[in-house]
Amino acid sequence: MTLDTLIHDVNSKCASLKDAAALLRGMPTAEAKELLALMTRQALSLADSIEEYAEELTAP
Amino acid sequence: MAKLSILVVEDDPLARKVMASQLGSHAADFAADTASAQAKLETGRYDLCFIDLELGDGAEASGLELIPLAVSQGTYAVVMSGHDSEKFVERAYALGCNDFYAKGNEEANVGRILDRFMGRRAKSGSDLFTERFVTEDPATRATITDALKYASSDLPIIILGPSGTGKTSLAKIIHDHSGRTGEFVAINCSAYAEDLLEAELFGYRKGAFTGAGDSRKGKLLAADQGTLFLDEIGSMSLKMQAKLLKAIEERSFYPLGSDQAEGSQFRIISATLEDLQGLIKAGKLRFDFFQRIHGLTIQLAPLAQRKCDVFPLLSFFTRGGKRLNFTAAAKERLSRHAWPGNVRELKKFVDLLVAGHEGSVTPEAVARLLADAVAQEGGGAFASDEQYRFALKNGLAPAVDRVTDEIVRRCLDENGGRKTKVLADLKISTRLLYASLKRTEAGR
Repeated sequence: MTLDTLIHDVNSKCASLKDAAALLRGMPTAEAKELLALMTRQALSLADSIEEYAEELTAP
Repeated sequence: MAKLSILVVEDDPLARKVMASQLGSHAADFAADTASAQAKLETGRYDLCFIDLELGDGAEASGLELIPLAVSQGTYAVVMSGHDSEKFVERAYALGCNDFYAKGNEEANVGRILDRFMGRRAKSGSDLFTERFVTEDPATRATITDALKYASSDLPIIILGPSGTGKTSLAKIIHDHSGRTGEFVAINCSAYAEDLLEAELFGYRKGAFTGAGDSRKGKLLAADQGTLFLDEIGSMSLKMQAKLLKAIEERSFYPLGSDQAEGSQFRIISATLEDLQGLIKAGKLRFDFFQRIHGLTIQLAPLAQRKCDVFPLLSFFTRGGKRLNFTAAAKERLSRHAWPGNVRELKKFVDLLVAGHEGSVTPEAVARLLADAVAQEGGGAFASDEQYRFALKNGLAPAVDRVTDEIVRRCLDENGGRKTKVLADLKISTRLLYASLKRTEAGR
């Protein structure tokens, strides 16, 4: 993973997380749960990207 | 804001969810990869397309390859990206994209893009009356402008007007402004016998009737999420009206020979040159069917009532082709013509004019070609549809009188009011000439 790819991932994933969080206000519970599940998956995927870059950076 | 048809190409499910929410009042469609985006874009049905720069397929900036296709389909292409590096912004604009934004705060981003798009459309909307429905007549412009306010609703529309006034063109324009994602499907009800019309509308299964070698999708299904345009609605049989009424009410129907119902969400626009109230009174149009197809009524005026459109239409039909110069007398002759075949007759006249050798058009050439255009438009039938329906409604004798009076009046005009020339040219008696002139005078 290149630094450019990581920057793109962080920017776009954080952007959709931020917008999704704003949508939660006033959302019916069932729909909110579905959205929260998507957000969780997004956050985990972002953590994976960071970890992958970190591993590549520290690899000999 | 008008309802727009929008495609969002985005591989990230959470971002798709966010975009679906931001575009809630529009007809939004989604694609997660380039292949499905290409298939959707090729239909050419989208006003706008939001394209994610990176589609998660491993290829760098793969979203960019969709831009030329979107632009070639007349779709407003917007690239959205997690990073706004100069390199990609430059490449996106070089490929023809209309807008580029960095992701984050989609509510504001999408709002700005839609405002820009609508502004652009409003500007280009000024070509509505110079390109798509050519008219300078203020009343016709107002009628069409009003009609377009209802384009995005599901309200059924009836377009009334004589043959050749542009009913089909207007129906298509309304569909194009509706934001509906489906197709514009037109059918002329008078062109089919009852059984064939049923098969055309509802479709059929293989073996449903003799000759049904393969199953075929009907117009009702083809118009799903789109517009079904029923031309010459007045010629539809009562039985067919009842069947169509049921399909409209239930939004589902059975193709011929099938026991499986098909669902279809279509908007109906109908057109006729006949008097609908007269048809209802005569028992030729079911009242319940009329109520179902009747929402907004648009009346298009014949060309004779908007003579100011004759020369703009002439210019439009000859644009990019042979340049014609009309003498003052030829212009005067054209202005006097009644254009019974309306815009269609005018188009035929222009075709004849362009195909001929005349560069400078004289009144004699106009008179000769107008006669040819009328003869060709009739396709060999001497009586027009309007004459036939007038005769059915009022009787043959008044219809013959009306034709006689128009011919006499025209011949008189072409001969500078010289009655002796009219008597000789038309080979009629003095008595007939004066009877005709008396009727014309009384009718004024």
